[in-house]
Amino acid sequence: MREQFFPAFDWHTVFIQPWSEYAVNSFWIVLMGFLVAGTCGLVGCFVILRRMALVGDAISHSILPGITLAFLITNSRDTLPMMLGAVVAGVVTVALIEAIRYTSRIKPDAAIGIVFSSLFAIGVILISVFADEVDLDAECVLYGELGFIPLQDIAYFGEIVIGPEPIVRMAIITLIAIVLLFAFFKEMIVTSFDSGLAASLGINPTRYQYGLTLFLSIVIVSSFESVGVVLVIAMIIFPGATALMLTDRLPIALVLSTVISGAYSLIGFHLATWLNASIAGGMTVIAGIVFGIVWAFAPQRGLIATFVRNRQIMEGSALNFSREEK
Amino acid sequence: MKCPRSALFFLTLLTMASISCSPTSNDSNDERIKAVATTTFVADLVRSILGDDGEVRGLMGPGVDPHLYKATAGDVNQLQSADVIFYNGLHLEGRMTEVLVRLGRQGTPVYAITESVPESRLLEPAEFAGHYDPHVWFDPDLWIHCVDTVVSALSKVDPSRAGTYENRGTDLVSRLTELKRWGDEYAQQIPRKQRILVTSHDAYNYFGQAFDFQVIGVQGISTVSEAGLADIVKVSKFIRENGIKAIFVESSVSPATIERISADSGVSIGGELFSDALGEPGHMETGPDDSSYDVGTYEGMFRHNMTTIVEALK
Repeated sequence: MREQFFPAFDWHTVFIQPWSEYAVNSFWIVLMGFLVAGTCGLVGCFVILRRMALVGDAISHSILPGITLAFLITNSRDTLPMMLGAVVAGVVTVALIEAIRYTSRIKPDAAIGIVFSSLFAIGVILISVFADEVDLDAECVLYGELGFIPLQDIAYFGEIVIGPEPIVRMAIITLIAIVLLFAFFKEMIVTSFDSGLAASLGINPTRYQYGLTLFLSIVIVSSFESVGVVLVIAMIIFPGATALMLTDRLPIALVLSTVISGAYSLIGFHLATWLNASIAGGMTVIAGIVFGIVWAFAPQRGLIATFVRNRQIMEGSALNFSREEK
Repeated sequence: MKCPRSALFFLTLLTMASISCSPTSNDSNDERIKAVATTTFVADLVRSILGDDGEVRGLMGPGVDPHLYKATAGDVNQLQSADVIFYNGLHLEGRMTEVLVRLGRQGTPVYAITESVPESRLLEPAEFAGHYDPHVWFDPDLWIHCVDTVVSALSKVDPSRAGTYENRGTDLVSRLTELKRWGDEYAQQIPRKQRILVTSHDAYNYFGQAFDFQVIGVQGISTVSEAGLADIVKVSKFIRENGIKAIFVESSVSPATIERISADSGVSIGGELFSDALGEPGHMETGPDDSSYDVGTYEGMFRHNMTTIVEALK
């Protein structure tokens, strides 16, 4: 017989031990989870509004020709050439998606499908023609692992220990995202909701769209490199989608998505500790559960609130109707 | 209305968080060596040398493709508190290798068990020198070299038991030599012309070299790229032309391609071979000579593969 499906829940090993004996590891993992989820979430709010939510999934496939070409050129499976290949492929992906979208009638979802499946197919062909005898796939040459963050090289500032290098890199990207957000907030909002209005205000919507997606492709690829693929794809969608269920105001949604990201990271880490499972997996499961709860119970948009409101409207109109009858 | 809703929200989280809690702690501060190994093959090898003098934790589970391994929250802590770490090497662990090498630099003894296999015996693709095939475990002779790495590594970590490790190593080497001899003899039942092994991916090149089989992996060496249509047609044709009796699926790779070829060419599927991971520990099988073996161990895995291949092709 296999052991029972869920391991027994033990308060000490799930909550106390991670923050006493293994506190440093836990801190870096939860912080990294939060940085990735938070950054992807901030960018994700805009990405969702622009109907590009699946761009993370798209890039995870379309980097294949990039890493294959990088391997064929350098004959090395080291992370640096793989990363460069992946960044170039990621940028090409979003540039092509935008180009198709703005120069044809194709909608963004279809454009994403067209671009990533063609690029992925090119990668598969390149591998079968040139590199069939070498084990070459993104999973093993590029993707990092959130669980291993505490074991990465430690970055120093002079003599002072800052933290594992991937966290420092991610924190810099987070900072850039926040600065860009503040600098171009008005333009981003206007172009997200009403490109006609944007154009009449003298804001070129295409330029911001390209800017956003180029930045996004860099965020995505560097997150793949440090924490793996599942978490990034999920975090582009979940924090934004959940926050946008709770509020109609974008600035509040941005703040909410950040708070929610912190909750994913912390609760997901403990879930993974309990189940002795992948931490990225734990975070994503929590993201799904939180979305489910918000979907049902959100004050304005939730299933229950909508149901109650519809009944009130119906009762109200019935009332009006009976009044008119009298 | 706002209050009860958020109360409900937190109530749900609280109940989730405290379904049951029982404070226990098993602080076993024993002196036994804590070894961590990556794949099931490596873990099994270390276990046979370490015996009861230590505890071996394998990171990757039975039947799991090493590509699909995801680190759990506990794995980091295990790696950090390990007295010694063993991995396969030759890029089998992909990017995880970087993490292991880094741990080695920080002071934990870390060994790639394939490091003592002579380079001349490693297979590399003609056009990509240096990117060696990592599946050395299918040749017991090469696996014997890996035993040496483990014995000398453990003797360095725990010099007081060096003699014991040495003895277990010698014992294991003689068992592996016997296994190779058994395999050689058993394979004689297949006429040389019929020694053609068709499987899903290129995992059996060392096996083919050791036991004189021609090996055809339909998917190439990576388990991610799928077989091309042309590959399937080519292999089907090859099977018919050479009158091959059976082809094989692998335990950690999807059987779809092989099933397709079987349907196309009418050849039967000879059984399931272990490729990148051992079987479930404690799962016993009985060979044609009535000897029984545990497919969760190296020797059991080898006997299973050899028996499956010979019985289907002879």
